[in-house]
Amino acid sequence: MREVAIIGVGMVPFGRRDEDTLMDLLAYASLKALDDAGLGDKSVDAVYVANMGGGILQHQTAIASSLVDRISLLPAAAETIENGPASGASAVKNGLLAVASGYYDTVLVVGGEKMREVTGWRATDFVATMTHPQVEYPYGITLPGMGGMFTRLYMEKYGVTREHLLAVSLKNQEMGALNPYAHVEMTLDREGIFDSSHAIVNNPVSADPLHLYDLCPVSDGAAALVICPLEMARKLAKPPILIAGFGQATDTQTLQEREDPTDLKAVAMAAQQAFERAKLKPSDIHVAELHDAFTILEIAESEHVGFFKKGEGGKAAAAGKTRFGGEIPINVSGGLKARGHPVGATGVAQVVDIVWQLRHELPKNRQVKNAQNGLTVNFGGFGNNVLAFVLRRVEQ
Amino acid sequence: MKKEIPITAFKCRKCGKIHYPFHDRCLACRGREFEQIKPEGDVRLLSYTAIFNLPWGFDQRFLVIGVAEFENKVKAMGQINVVSVDQLKTGMKMKAGWEPVRVQYGEDVYGLKFELPE
Repeated sequence: MREVAIIGVGMVPFGRRDEDTLMDLLAYASLKALDDAGLGDKSVDAVYVANMGGGILQHQTAIASSLVDRISLLPAAAETIENGPASGASAVKNGLLAVASGYYDTVLVVGGEKMREVTGWRATDFVATMTHPQVEYPYGITLPGMGGMFTRLYMEKYGVTREHLLAVSLKNQEMGALNPYAHVEMTLDREGIFDSSHAIVNNPVSADPLHLYDLCPVSDGAAALVICPLEMARKLAKPPILIAGFGQATDTQTLQEREDPTDLKAVAMAAQQAFERAKLKPSDIHVAELHDAFTILEIAESEHVGFFKKGEGGKAAAAGKTRFGGEIPINVSGGLKARGHPVGATGVAQVVDIVWQLRHELPKNRQVKNAQNGLTVNFGGFGNNVLAFVLRRVEQ
Repeated sequence: MKKEIPITAFKCRKCGKIHYPFHDRCLACRGREFEQIKPEGDVRLLSYTAIFNLPWGFDQRFLVIGVAEFENKVKAMGQINVVSVDQLKTGMKMKAGWEPVRVQYGEDVYGLKFELPE
């Protein structure tokens, strides 16, 4: 197997993008990544497009075929990858395997979603189609609802408090306010959402015990990257970012069939595989992008990947250990919470953000000093399909 | 008159693990032979939430939903018939029934509904 590096990245600002179609978003991000890789007018061997909802939200299928035509990458091989909210990381994985195996040399991976085109009702229903069609979906369960039940159990078992969740929310919004690609470029005021009589109006319960500002927004957006064998990447001007390790694991579709629903087995296994393949350990990671669709998930994932012991993640967040400048900075991009969560784009965007960190290309107020190793976790379903990547900077 | 709860769970004949919903192979031992069992007795509430941002198809302010375990260990999701989550506690005993849980194409869709004991 060949070692594989990321040589180009691109993203379009996430948010509400009424003026753009899904194909516009995918095309803009792709061209940015191709230009960043310095490919000029050259083509790529293959294109993997991550998208979860085109068939439902835009009534559009065969999206990858359409994209290669739109951006003139014919006759590159092209596929659309759908794996729920982990579609992005799945597309990166498929690109990685294709290059590592020697089948292709240059691959474009792009993830995109346009969710604001429909009403909140419809978008919530679209995401809920991930739940079990007979024993969950008919009841009106939503992914935030799953998050609410999970939070209640985590609070009862590990003593996580609303203060801990608030620490994640404030931290990620603070970082998102500095990120020009973030959907919600706004800091939050603790008093306004927690400590005052106005808090219940500003920050109402959304999926008890989760409140509005515990949840990520529904977003439009796209992100892309270009990969090739490390040996080719070494000849380019920018430092190659090695995909040093990846892992993927699955778990039961319904929470009720897990022996301990607070145990995110797939997260732990995916991260462990990624660390083993990279020959690194959690303490070697300098910056991480974890899938904080709900604030509780950042806390639980920070424990399951091995940054903190079980039950310590909430306290660590409240103590500032996961802040920019802290022991292990998590979601310096603002995470899903502030950057946004266009479901098909998220797993790619997480990798793009870590690439910027490891290339040391970010402004001082977001650049983790001398970052060499990064981790991403992309969480599909309610933890039933999880992918993790360990990325490493390679000095030229 | 209360409707009988028509759900069927599946007990692995090899290792005894109870599944709901159906799986073609046992999640624990990959056995393929199952005994069909019906949920029995009252339920114990395992977790719950009140959802205020509802999906398309629900024309109401909020929904209370939970996962509960029947006396014979069958676990299932259902709606909870309370006005506030303040009436609930994990581990509490509840009654289970089979009632309309949503309307689709003008027809009632039936499912599990949990309620406080009288």
